[in-house]
Amino acid sequence: MAKITFRIWLLIIVLILAILSIAPWGYFEKGVLIKSVEKNSTAFNYGLRQGMIIKQIDDNIIKNAADYSAIISRLFAENKTLNKIIIQTSQGEFILFEVKSLEITVAGIPGTKLKTGLDLSGGARALVRPANFSISSSEINDLIAITTERFNVYGLRDITIRSVRDLQNNNFMLIEIAGATPRDLQDLVGSQGKFEAKIGNDTVFEGGEQDITRVCRNDAQCARIESCSQVQGGASCRFSFLIYLSETAAQRQASITSKLGINTTDSGQYLNKKLDLYLDDNLVDSLFISRDLKGKAETQIQIQGSGSGNTQDEAAKDAQQNMNKLQTILLTGSLPYKLEIVKLDTISPLLGKAFTKNIIYLALIVFAIISIILFIKYRKIKITLAVILTMFSEAFITLGIAALIRWNLDAPSIAGIIAGMGTGVNDQIVIIDEAVSESNASLGEKIKRAFFIIIGAFFTIIAAMLPLFWAGAGMLRGFALTTIIGVSVGILITRPAFADIIKKIQE
Amino acid sequence: MEQIKQPEKKSWYDRWYKILLAIPVVIMLISLIYLGVFYSKNHTFMFRDVSLSGGTTITLKGNIDSANLESQLKNKFSDIEFKKLTDLTTGNPVAFVIESSTTPDELKAGVEEILGYKLTDENSSIEFTGPSLSQSFYKQLLIALVISFVLMSLVIFILFKSFIPSIAVIFAAFSDIIMPLALLDFLEIKISAAGIAAFLMLIGYSVDTDILLTSRALKKVEGKLNERIYGAFKTGIFMTITALLAVLPAFFIVTGLPDSFRQIFLILSLGLGADIINTWLTNASIIKLYCTKKGIK
Repeated sequence: MAKITFRIWLLIIVLILAILSIAPWGYFEKGVLIKSVEKNSTAFNYGLRQGMIIKQIDDNIIKNAADYSAIISRLFAENKTLNKIIIQTSQGEFILFEVKSLEITVAGIPGTKLKTGLDLSGGARALVRPANFSISSSEINDLIAITTERFNVYGLRDITIRSVRDLQNNNFMLIEIAGATPRDLQDLVGSQGKFEAKIGNDTVFEGGEQDITRVCRNDAQCARIESCSQVQGGASCRFSFLIYLSETAAQRQASITSKLGINTTDSGQYLNKKLDLYLDDNLVDSLFISRDLKGKAETQIQIQGSGSGNTQDEAAKDAQQNMNKLQTILLTGSLPYKLEIVKLDTISPLLGKAFTKNIIYLALIVFAIISIILFIKYRKIKITLAVILTMFSEAFITLGIAALIRWNLDAPSIAGIIAGMGTGVNDQIVIIDEAVSESNASLGEKIKRAFFIIIGAFFTIIAAMLPLFWAGAGMLRGFALTTIIGVSVGILITRPAFADIIKKIQE
Repeated sequence: MEQIKQPEKKSWYDRWYKILLAIPVVIMLISLIYLGVFYSKNHTFMFRDVSLSGGTTITLKGNIDSANLESQLKNKFSDIEFKKLTDLTTGNPVAFVIESSTTPDELKAGVEEILGYKLTDENSSIEFTGPSLSQSFYKQLLIALVISFVLMSLVIFILFKSFIPSIAVIFAAFSDIIMPLALLDFLEIKISAAGIAAFLMLIGYSVDTDILLTSRALKKVEGKLNERIYGAFKTGIFMTITALLAVLPAFFIVTGLPDSFRQIFLILSLGLGADIINTWLTNASIIKLYCTKKGIK
């Protein structure tokens, strides 16, 4: 039997590592993956965490996300509180008592560790920068910190926010959200979120921890949808929630209200000016101030607002979302800059699925075509198989590296892999043609010549792709990255192994 | 082994290679003139899609009554374009793409009004690039293209360490970009950001046959020059054809692919096609001239 050389061993080992990195065993696993757990919820306090896999709830075995939703909606029907619930997870059993609802989000277990980009898996992407001026790297980091907090408070998880810089040294904030697109994304990232409560022209308090010590959220006692009514063209619902002012802000309010007069109306006595709530300089609501509050340093303030929609359900949902947005802004304060969304993409997950399917078919067609023409040209099954094996190894190892560095494979990245396979085949043709040439040189010498060409081609591709890492805020980085990984894997691992395989075939 | 000297008979290639050089030179001249005229008329080197000029793309999922939608949208928006994407296996429409330089809110409202339902992230994708960003994208990608070309040229100079053969390779690579670009402009095809990335790829992708040709012509000790060039041609043309067959299906067979994907493969296909001319007519003739002058046989 032919001896397996060091280079061939290296290829085999790297292939095994690539399989470990891609980890395709998710396909065989049953259960659902916890994507997020609401902080300080019952589930959180009993120890459930992101990344665990739920296998069973009470006596019900959970095979997939559909099982999970069916069981949850059955268990928590009619908003009843469960005395006890037993959850079996990949990391042991958790027994939860007095559960009103499970405040966690789950998803099916991913088949592999490969991650697909937004254009293939769906989601939203926003590229944001301060309007009209450029900011430094440290300033963009502050912006990212505040925005991240805003998303967390709003209740959006599974978001990546990072800074990107382009060739002209512009700094941007890139926000990516996998899966469904939140309706308020544009408001959350595009608005500065400057909240002001004013009486006349005097500011009483602003959003942020300096003036506001606590905001009541997720507690029907002090934050709720108050009432809904039919209005022209649909329905409208009002919400209200309590906030707690700091001592200084309360004193400020006392001194401003002490100067106000009192109006008597049909519904009671109020101060002669209202408390106006502004969001990004737009008036969102005006509230009557009860006469009892005149000159009083009251720390509890009831904030109100409304939502509208075609039906009462829609209006209630809208009011709920507006309340959540306002609570978020009051808690996190305003962003230091006015922002401009320079790019906003929301990609349907279903379209992404159709694209992915077509790309897989395409890759198979390309494989088939190359195999057929190689066989027609060389008429040797061994050589054809060796080329196909090498081509497949290259693509597979590239995917393995992508999984290892948690790279999101978007359409340009996959195009890069296919283009890399194209160069790979070219290099192998050079090796084969040198090896089978009728030259008098030794086989080793011929292969050395082939490698001169291959290494030259390798460096030109690297040189050509490098600028793409920075150009256009890195939006096409995936294409450069997978191409460079592909050709590097080729030159370091697969091509040397292929040369040895061809030597064995020729000998 | 001693070779018997006899007056060499001029082969077909010896007689014609200078004439062959004229073919790519003429194509190149036509391309350059066309691009010059194009630039003076449009003040840009290429037609740009919304990713490079600013605007909104809406992709509607499923089978849409596109004729009605198209005619109604055309009345509302002046610069609107449409594309249909079909599934590879079934041939059924997968999606309908609408592009316009308007804002996402306006285009979305316009489409919703005609369709009579709301666009959600279940039934559609919306992509928006602001005009200022797209301008800077375009500028930067052109800078990247230049940097890429300069870096590639450096690699070629280091590799061959002699002027004429290096310039021949670099000129071939330059033609590989100019010819497809002129053709794309002629066909009025709009180029996206991914398309320019494909031009960068082309720089790296197309020179491997040139390196093969030049290194075989200059460095190989066995065989006559013509034989070495012909040997390189046999290997190189097979390489290019294989690469072409690998990238062509993506453009011709499959239409249900992300646009970035299709652009990359379209431009690579055109570039590889141009590369056949530029390597085996331009570069080969120059290298033969060079070798003949230098006495390399």
